[in-house]
Amino acid sequence: MPKGKAGKKKNKEFYNPYSVTNAVKKGDIFTRLSMLIMGLGNFARGQIAKGLAFLILEAAYIFFMIKTGASCIADLIRLGGAEQQKYWNEAKQVYEYTQGDNSLLMLLFGVATLFITIIFILLWRASLKSAYKAQCMKENGKKPDTFVQDIKSLFDKNLHKTLLALPVTGVVVFTILPLVFMISMAFTNYSKLDSHLTIFNWVGLENFGKIFSFNSSIGKSFWSALGWTLIWAVFATFSNYILGMILAIVINRKNTRGKAFWRTIFMLSAAIPQFVSLLLMRTMFNREGIINTLLQRYFNLSEPMPFWDNAMLARIVIIVVNIWIGIPFTMLQVTGVLQNIPEDLYEAAKVDGAGPVKTFFKITLPYMLFVTGPYLITSFTGNINNFNVIYLLSGGGPVTDLSSTSGKTDLLVTWLYKLSVDQQYYNIAAVIGIMTFVVMAVVSLITYHRTGSYKNEEGFQ
Amino acid sequence: MKFRKVAALFLAGAMCAATVAGCGKDSGSSSTSGGESGTGSGEEEEITATITVWSPAEDQSIDNGEWLQTMCEQFSAEHPNWNLTFKYGTCSEADAGKTVSSDPSASADVYMFSNDQIQTLIDAGAIAEFGGSALETIKENNSDVMVNSVTVDGGVYGVPYTGNTWFMFYNKDIFSEDDVKNLDTMLEKGKVAFKLTDSWYIGSFYFGNGCTAFGDGTDEAAGIDLTGDKAVEVTEYLVDLAANPNFVNDADQAGITGFNDGTVGAFFSGTWDYSNITLDADKIGVVACPTYTLNGEEKQMYAFAGSKAIGVNPNCEYPQVAVALALYLGSDEAQISHYEARGIIPCNLTAVEDEKIAADEMAIAQNDTTARTSVMQPLCSKMSNWWTPAENMGKAIIAGEVTKDNAAEKTEEFNEGANNGVVQ
Amino acid sequence: MKKMSKSARIGKKTSNVFVHILLGVLAFIWILPILFIIMVSFKSDPGLQVRTLLPDVILQKVKLSHPDMFANVTRGFIPTLDNYKKLFTDTTNVFNFPQMFLNTLIISIFTCIISAFFVLSVSYVMSRMRFKMRKPFMNVALILGMFPGFMSMIAVYYILKSIGLTEGAMIRVALVMVYSGGSGLSFYIAKGFFDTIPKSIDEAAYIDGATRWQVFTRITIPLSKPIIVYTVLQSFMAPWLDFIFAKVICRANKDYFTVSVGLWNMLEKEYIYSWFNCFAAGAVCISIPIIILFMVMQKFYREGVAGAVKG
Repeated sequence: MPKGKAGKKKNKEFYNPYSVTNAVKKGDIFTRLSMLIMGLGNFARGQIAKGLAFLILEAAYIFFMIKTGASCIADLIRLGGAEQQKYWNEAKQVYEYTQGDNSLLMLLFGVATLFITIIFILLWRASLKSAYKAQCMKENGKKPDTFVQDIKSLFDKNLHKTLLALPVTGVVVFTILPLVFMISMAFTNYSKLDSHLTIFNWVGLENFGKIFSFNSSIGKSFWSALGWTLIWAVFATFSNYILGMILAIVINRKNTRGKAFWRTIFMLSAAIPQFVSLLLMRTMFNREGIINTLLQRYFNLSEPMPFWDNAMLARIVIIVVNIWIGIPFTMLQVTGVLQNIPEDLYEAAKVDGAGPVKTFFKITLPYMLFVTGPYLITSFTGNINNFNVIYLLSGGGPVTDLSSTSGKTDLLVTWLYKLSVDQQYYNIAAVIGIMTFVVMAVVSLITYHRTGSYKNEEGFQ
Repeated sequence: MKFRKVAALFLAGAMCAATVAGCGKDSGSSSTSGGESGTGSGEEEEITATITVWSPAEDQSIDNGEWLQTMCEQFSAEHPNWNLTFKYGTCSEADAGKTVSSDPSASADVYMFSNDQIQTLIDAGAIAEFGGSALETIKENNSDVMVNSVTVDGGVYGVPYTGNTWFMFYNKDIFSEDDVKNLDTMLEKGKVAFKLTDSWYIGSFYFGNGCTAFGDGTDEAAGIDLTGDKAVEVTEYLVDLAANPNFVNDADQAGITGFNDGTVGAFFSGTWDYSNITLDADKIGVVACPTYTLNGEEKQMYAFAGSKAIGVNPNCEYPQVAVALALYLGSDEAQISHYEARGIIPCNLTAVEDEKIAADEMAIAQNDTTARTSVMQPLCSKMSNWWTPAENMGKAIIAGEVTKDNAAEKTEEFNEGANNGVVQ
Repeated sequence: MKKMSKSARIGKKTSNVFVHILLGVLAFIWILPILFIIMVSFKSDPGLQVRTLLPDVILQKVKLSHPDMFANVTRGFIPTLDNYKKLFTDTTNVFNFPQMFLNTLIISIFTCIISAFFVLSVSYVMSRMRFKMRKPFMNVALILGMFPGFMSMIAVYYILKSIGLTEGAMIRVALVMVYSGGSGLSFYIAKGFFDTIPKSIDEAAYIDGATRWQVFTRITIPLSKPIIVYTVLQSFMAPWLDFIFAKVICRANKDYFTVSVGLWNMLEKEYIYSWFNCFAAGAVCISIPIIILFMVMQKFYREGVAGAVKG
């Protein structure tokens, strides 16, 4: 019940009378004509600059669609394309080649055109709403917003639009567009198989079937890699979180001296590039590595410890090394929050006669979990995709099933790397990517919606 | 009020539009085909062009006399009608497959690659076939082995300039010339390092006992044959080998390091490691792979042999210039000067007879390996299924997971993995 | 009474000493691998294998008295500066390290300016403003990061190519965009921080007639030094550490390689033996700007935190 209420309330909170439906239903001739000629409604109410902007954008979109957009969409639907052809040129004594098509580019540009179209539709809606709003204001005897007023509001009431413009553009172009592109690869036969690396076609859901059959080698690898990925993410996240927090609290104690010194020391491991420190770590844990040499010399071990050859040992070593790599970031993050805990909370606890342990569990931890809940989730998902640590340390090994491509420490992400970059099964890799993505997205959204910082954002303000 | 929103959308739109504009540009220029006829074969037509050449960084370094730049300038001087400007990029032969095929149209006109990349390059439409007089020149100047190493489905795709294989370096203080004929004799006398966990190396034992990869290396339908007792016997031998106290698995450069400080008597590697050896020159011996003793019988180890070659990009504007340059860079003079600059061992039949090269011990070992103790590294696309299972086999043997008891079972798994690949 | 407090004080003192000892031991473990890297960077024997880190002089003495010890080690550790010299002077040959260093520095400075701006903007908006798309945006942002980034490499490369950023000096711009483009998504931590700054400060400013823009630039940003430091530090480091994207975008353009591409190339089979020590030396050189940045930032960090608490 309360949930439904909240939902309703939320809708009301952002209720906008100037909607597209209202514009179509109640708009006058100028407003309705804005559906065809964007900006017309604005011209009619004297918002020249705004109307002009809409009109120019519409013209630009139409020009673009005629020139390249339409053919890109057609290519996207068709895919495939002409193979590179070679011709013998007797005079020059060389083979000459036609360029040939590249389905990859067709897919990418097609997806990009779709994006532009979506953006144009949003723009179209905005223009319609704005025309209707201007009409309503005029009807109510108010003067429609001038250009200067519009600009001013962007730095006050509508500041979020100003501030979000660039970051969102960046995200759309560098994250979402490539993401959609990757997802669509899952429905093609883009892979080394039968050499479909330049020309490929849509194949529908065929690739998904391969993963779901437990018997195929790829299916087996998937489920075992998924299992270890989850175990790893839990251990890596919580070991770093808890140990990092304890370390930060210890350094932050009133009586600890040289706080800056300790923090710098523990930051050092983050300052060395991971691909250097991890590669050296790997050699240190080798059979002939320095750790085995020391163990044999001082602990009389007869055989070297097979750190990378034994699945269990390899997993433990990786988690331990990850603590070394990851704690600086937790520490840095936690320290900032720790110092922000309101002093009066502690005072109150002191009055109640709570000891340090009790204070930690009653005040520090709840507060930390409140503020760093999202951090925990991001670092959990970060660990699921923690490519570097696995790739550079164990390379996914040891492999016990010789006919499979994934080793005992392969995360889904490192296995994906092998499948796509090394083995060029891009479609299968995309399928696995999507499935991982779906599982993780659901898990983390549910968790996130249960954290205090989501439910009660103003809790500690 | 909505202006900023509009502006934001426009910006995003403009970026996407620019993305797509590239599409138009690409498809617009898609017909550079050879409709036009040349101006006769005797006189070269006037051409002004910028040619991009990619090679490993060492070929362009000042310490090595800027070999590539020198060659390109000489080439330019030999063709007065061609007004050429060169642009250089660095890309090692091993990376060429990945880098060039990631975007062939923006890659070099002429580049160097190792022949195991050839299938990747063909799949990506990033390498041009040689024909006519160019093909004749290549065939005239190279042994059949070398020509085969750049041939796929009857087409020749590169100008080979050196062999690419591995052989054995040994310490003459530890092993005699007789010892190095058999691996097991060597293991009785001193430590030997071998890259058992490297899939380029481990196959040599299997090929010695009748296992094959794609028949003679070109028969894709034949597949990889690691079946039956002949393969299991080798696995069992390798289990023993790994347990031998005188055997060192050469991972993370253990071989060369041990060789230099005298703790390892022999290791297996190629020409690239020669300059890293710090022993006195008269102590270093270089020979082709030895035999090994399997159940009392002598079996030869067979290394994978390939080549490094010069390829031409089919997207280049002036293929006749690119082909001529590729041939020039693979000519006997260029190969000899390459040898003098960097010790790259020539494979050109004329260059091999050069006095200095004929006397070079490493050149002898490499050519002996190619001729006698190697199998051709298969180029067909199914070969890519070999690498991962082979490496895993080596790792499993070193880890002790493969024992004599489960050797048959593990070999079977290896065979299955090498033939089926990841996705059927 | 007096006695008890005294024993309590002693207890406190011992626990204090214990804490410091614990920190010391941990710190030692912490810097051991780093010391190892530094030692390798001063190593004179080439190659990946590190047989011993005992100084040569001591090793030879030990060997004299105990011939069976260190049987397979002939030479001890002889420190040398040659690796650094080679790294910085051998620029005409295979690796032009100073050039790479400069490239990376430029890229990382621009990256961290842009990223910091993006992250602060988004997190302020998410924390302080309420609008229709807010919750959907936050949910989407949370899950977007879960798709493995390298799968998008090809797409990102072609997008950059079509804007004309993959040739010549524009490669630097391309890399800046790659590293900072998606940074708007990593606002969660900063938003959590903003959520703890009392809203009453903002409201007081609105009453005084300030616009939201003024509140953001004059009140919120000055209060959020710790989180700026965190963001700057993380985004400054990215270009130094990334060896996958940079390689895909630089391709064969050696002049625009970043440090990590160069270092990664040193590990190829042709170079690894003779360049491995330089590889470690390069790593030490990369760490220096990061450590300096951290030490400088730490000062601001403490001040910033103190300011925030006082409100």
